[in-house]
Amino acid sequence: MTTDANNNLVNLKAQIQQYLVESGNYEKISNDLNKRLLAEGWMESVKKLTLDEINVNDSTKFPQILKNVEPEAINMVSDTTKNEVIEQIKFFLNEVFNTEQ
Amino acid sequence: MSATINSVSKEIYNNIITTVIQDIVSREVVEQKQIKSRHPDYKPYHYDSTGTLDILGVPKIQESSQYFHCNNCDRDVSANRFAAHLQRCLNSRSRN
Repeated sequence: MTTDANNNLVNLKAQIQQYLVESGNYEKISNDLNKRLLAEGWMESVKKLTLDEINVNDSTKFPQILKNVEPEAINMVSDTTKNEVIEQIKFFLNEVFNTEQ
Repeated sequence: MSATINSVSKEIYNNIITTVIQDIVSREVVEQKQIKSRHPDYKPYHYDSTGTLDILGVPKIQESSQYFHCNNCDRDVSANRFAAHLQRCLNSRSRN
């Protein structure tokens, strides 16, 4: 029963994502997020973090470096950017559900 | 339903942000790998926080102790006098 519900949720998620991609909204959201991250200097910070990680571990193995960088990089996104982008996604999702009902 | 919208929004946001991070990290890793394989004894540029040493870790050399060879008159000229030297050296030659 729970797996069934889980499957439904995964399906729903995939459908929503496909809808966002097809309507062009996914691209809009993604571009907007990229622009914000670039403007607030997050991109450079992540690059620097990656370089430091490479130097500290003296390794250029992608999975290992990514494992160390990813959680911190996610944390480094400013709250305003994160919340505003999530609000934007919610806005589009609300539209989807309103049109379907 | 709004709870679902919330969680799905967050997941979509997470999808995008992890894609961006993976993209940046992979570029950076590949670049470093290339540099290290092409230049096995690669050293990053020297950084001196006091601003006295250059990218090789060397202090500034006095320009007056350096000499240029002037091809016009075949003499060694102090580096910080070279422009003044050329003005006279090239002029006097054209008159000769």
